[in-house]
Amino acid sequence: MTGETRNDASRHNAPRDHSAAAGLSRAGRARPVWLVAVRLARFDLPRFLIGAFLWLPVMVIPLAGGLLLQRLFDQLSGARPAGLGQILWICAAFVGAEAVRGVILVIAHTYGTYWWDAAATLLRANALRSILTARGAAAARLPHSSAEAVARLRDDVAGVVSFVDEVVPLTGAVLFSGAAVAVMASIDPVITLVLVLPMVVIGVLSRLMSELVRRLHLRARVLGAQVTAYVGDIFTGVLAIKTAGAEAAALRRLRAHNRARRDAAVKDSLATDLLDTATDATVEISVGLVLLLAAAAMRRGEFTVGDLALFTSYVGWLAQLPRTVGGILFRLPQAAVSTDRLTRLMAPHESADELSRDTGVWFYRDRPPAPTPGRAEPLELLQADGLTVRLGPAGHGVHRGIHDIGLRLPRGSFTVVTGAVGSGKTTLARALLGLAPLDAGTIRWNGETVADPGTFMVPGRVAYASQIPRLFSATLRENLLLGRTGDDLARALRLAAFDDDLARLPRGLDSLVGPRGMRLSGEQIQRVTAARALARTPELLVVDDLSSALDVETERTLWDRLDGAGTLLVISHRPAVLERADQVIVLDRGRLAGRGTLRELLGDCPEMRRLYHGDVLTDLL
Amino acid sequence: MRARFDIGLRAAAALAVAVVMVTVLPLLAPQFTGRFVDDAIAGAGAGRLTMIALGYLVVAVAGQAARMLTAWLARRAAWDATNRLRETLAGHALGLDMAYHGRHTPGEMIERVDGDVAAIADFAVAFLLDVVASVLLLGGVLVVVCVIDPRIGAVLLAYCLLIGYAMTRVQRRAVPSATLVRATDAEMIGTLEERLAGAEDIRANGAGEHTVNGFYGAAAAWFHAEYRAGWIGSGLVAGTSITFALGTATVLGMAAWAQLSAGTAVLLFQYTMMVRTPFERLIDQLRQYQAALAGFARVRALLSEQRTLPAPADPRPLPGGALGLEIDHVGFAYDGAFEVLTDVALTLAPGQTLGLVGRTGSGKTTIGRLILRLYDPGRGAVRVGGIDLREADPASLRRRVCAVTQDVQLFAGTVRDNLTLFRPLADDDRLRAALAEVGLDGWDLDMRLDGQAFSAGEAQLLAFARALLADPGLVVLDEPSSRLDPATERSVERSVERLLAGRTGVLIAHRLSSLSRVDAVAVVEGGRIVECGPREALLGDPASRFSRMHGLAEAAR
Repeated sequence: MTGETRNDASRHNAPRDHSAAAGLSRAGRARPVWLVAVRLARFDLPRFLIGAFLWLPVMVIPLAGGLLLQRLFDQLSGARPAGLGQILWICAAFVGAEAVRGVILVIAHTYGTYWWDAAATLLRANALRSILTARGAAAARLPHSSAEAVARLRDDVAGVVSFVDEVVPLTGAVLFSGAAVAVMASIDPVITLVLVLPMVVIGVLSRLMSELVRRLHLRARVLGAQVTAYVGDIFTGVLAIKTAGAEAAALRRLRAHNRARRDAAVKDSLATDLLDTATDATVEISVGLVLLLAAAAMRRGEFTVGDLALFTSYVGWLAQLPRTVGGILFRLPQAAVSTDRLTRLMAPHESADELSRDTGVWFYRDRPPAPTPGRAEPLELLQADGLTVRLGPAGHGVHRGIHDIGLRLPRGSFTVVTGAVGSGKTTLARALLGLAPLDAGTIRWNGETVADPGTFMVPGRVAYASQIPRLFSATLRENLLLGRTGDDLARALRLAAFDDDLARLPRGLDSLVGPRGMRLSGEQIQRVTAARALARTPELLVVDDLSSALDVETERTLWDRLDGAGTLLVISHRPAVLERADQVIVLDRGRLAGRGTLRELLGDCPEMRRLYHGDVLTDLL
Repeated sequence: MRARFDIGLRAAAALAVAVVMVTVLPLLAPQFTGRFVDDAIAGAGAGRLTMIALGYLVVAVAGQAARMLTAWLARRAAWDATNRLRETLAGHALGLDMAYHGRHTPGEMIERVDGDVAAIADFAVAFLLDVVASVLLLGGVLVVVCVIDPRIGAVLLAYCLLIGYAMTRVQRRAVPSATLVRATDAEMIGTLEERLAGAEDIRANGAGEHTVNGFYGAAAAWFHAEYRAGWIGSGLVAGTSITFALGTATVLGMAAWAQLSAGTAVLLFQYTMMVRTPFERLIDQLRQYQAALAGFARVRALLSEQRTLPAPADPRPLPGGALGLEIDHVGFAYDGAFEVLTDVALTLAPGQTLGLVGRTGSGKTTIGRLILRLYDPGRGAVRVGGIDLREADPASLRRRVCAVTQDVQLFAGTVRDNLTLFRPLADDDRLRAALAEVGLDGWDLDMRLDGQAFSAGEAQLLAFARALLADPGLVVLDEPSSRLDPATERSVERSVERLLAGRTGVLIAHRLSSLSRVDAVAVVEGGRIVECGPREALLGDPASRFSRMHGLAEAAR
């Protein structure tokens, strides 16, 4: 549950989330689900309809089976005497009907796979696209662990698609039930009427239970996602656990998570079973009712053994209707929860609308590559005023927000942001790039106010080499280019001082870097990240703590090459970098402590003196 | 342990009773309908017919209740069993070497520890609930039908055998396609996980659409695998359906031919239908069974994954106190590729500290990994406290040799969890003291850490506190202060000094300032030690690389 709470707390700017968290009326919560459901049915309507149409015979053919059984038993019991030959013909027809149904079933199922997978991929791709490209900061909507986000994209998407899928059996069940009730009523209207009642009971029962089911299901999902997230965590941090010898303790924690999930999951499925069992029991009770009510009629000869066979055969299939209705009613609250969880992955200005937008199916052809952005308007001046980011609940003792910070980066300038640990250096960079949500402040590019930094401050205007860079399981080339053409790659690699390392790699740019780039050393990853940013030929390059892991010589080479390569905003505390800077911005606990050249600041900024001379003294030995 | 076992026994007994009820009650029900039809045709009184109908009702509803109970018991038992499997798998995987983890993403491990086991869990529930009960019911039906008419019973038996044979044949074909579905699914989910973890890098590099396209590729592979598996799966269902219609028709045809009573025909019809339901359940489970088999195959593959570092035959614990270190002419290559270390020799007396200096990629980090025995050297030996690490007790090694790594992983949990790594190893006062020593005083132990808003420097400080809490005899600090700015570094230096007091230390450093306290310095270049000696001596020798690097740093300032 903590994941949910944290998400809501960190998104207080979005009114939509408030209402979702507070819990609107049932209808209010269900509306986005219906929008998503309709969209999923319509993104490839012909296929959905043909798929549904193929399923209908599968559902309706049992009608013929019942009629054949009726004939057969009437002949067996002597109500309608006939020769053995005719009986065998009926038996053959019975098998024939089933054979037709079987063939259609295979076709319908295989055909339906396309729709199901396409619908799931549609939702997943839309959520992923929003996280990676939509306006607003992604950090605010992603759960702490990427594994938890994955759990949503895997399980919640499957839940929503299954809910829509359920419409097809519902149609089939309605068709079958209508016809079956008509046939039965023509035989004995009273018994038919009595049989409808238990079916209604089942429908009402499942509706009543849906709220409980929803709650239990949500809990099971949350606890399930926690296990997934935890497993992801321990394997991401496997080195820390191994070097600390904490394997046993990590497993004990896994056991605790597992227990909690077991209890929740058993309760969740118990609720499902209760509905299932109630449905099955209804079928049995109905058969019993037929026996009770038919006793007198059978004695009078008005109700034959064949009729009995038909009724008992239809009752089982009839129960499909309340079962399917129950199933839909049961899945609806789950799908509402899932839609809600998925929508919260989307940007604040987005809703279920963007989540379910038809963005095409790409199973049989590749999607055309995204166009490389053209050259941006050259940067003359980047200004930022009053940048404020409040992170986390106050009173933590952890300073990581920033308050009222201004910046002025003229073309070709070299600006360094420095400060103690937790002073907000990285937050400032992330706020400027739109990666952290801005609570106040404006950013102006050549005097024009930037409406959404997250989508504006990107290549070809700005590129970013982050403090904790992420590489992906792919080739070095793919990691560097990420979809761009490689025209500027050689220059970028040289500027980032990675050319020598590249020459030493046996397979060069085709080398696989391993999961999260694990086959490269930490310092190599940092320079690859810098090269990745430089390959985008940005007007402004933002670099976070690039030289922290580099040795002295590599660092000097790097800065010699980068200096003068464009407008630079660098987060660093290295003297060698501070000295090169045109201006240094000193942060202290999220506030501006000084601004100027290093020389000026050493004169009039106590925090700068504290930071700078700390290193000088230790280096003097 | 014993209490848990007792509960297991009770649950097993309860489950057995419930399963028997689930079998016997449905077997009784058709007897009532058969009797009802025969009596009705024979013209029995309404009272008698009503009694039979009521009897049917009671038996049928009781059968459903028993089914519900079985479901509850089976689910609990299955979850317990599969949770144990998850824990075993996680434990085994955690025990594997870093070489293995370097090849597998966390997303992939999630699929293998959680996803594959989920398929097995589904099947385990189904097995206890449907398979066992269905097989029992099937046997019961066959016996009852044989009693009614042995010829019809024999035909039914033949049918069941035929279908059972056909099912196993088809299933053999289905397993590889189910395996492919799971593999492509894992690939797709793994891609998602990795890209979501790097969402900010992707956004900032404007690579969002490109990444989405990559996801479409993985999803297409998954669809094509599912499409192929769908043919086989649905064909199996349809085939069973047709075969059973054929069986029902044959039984009814035989009943007509043998001129059995209408009631008996109804009875036989119902029993034949009863065979169909458990068989359909079995088929249904077969699909889960396929997934479970695929899951089992992958679980087995993971469990058979061996440590590449052999366990010592006669594990020797490392001695107490500060530990000496001897790197004895070591050569090493990752994955048997080109050598990253050649003939590295270093000796460090207990309580001494060594600074490893060198260019990027020179092999410093690898030396650290060998000291932690994350890898074994290809040539030569690493001895700690006089014991070859290949002969050292692994548990004792982890306790006595401690590391602060370059990239600090924070776990979704409290500060306490992150300090102790979930171990109940210290009281809160000690934890707070450790936090205070690294300058993180004022942090609440119960504060939950949110990786997004956490600076790398703070993570590094936390890793220091972790190291302070352990009581190692040898400490490997791999760039411990790489992300600390000098002001914070000073406060850490005090605690590092305390950590190293009375201990042996290896500092893998890129910054000269962090070497101020070492006794000796070794310069690594291209996987070889090119310079080694007491720090003061190297500094005093103007020809040494170490003093030259100092000169460069001075010039840069």
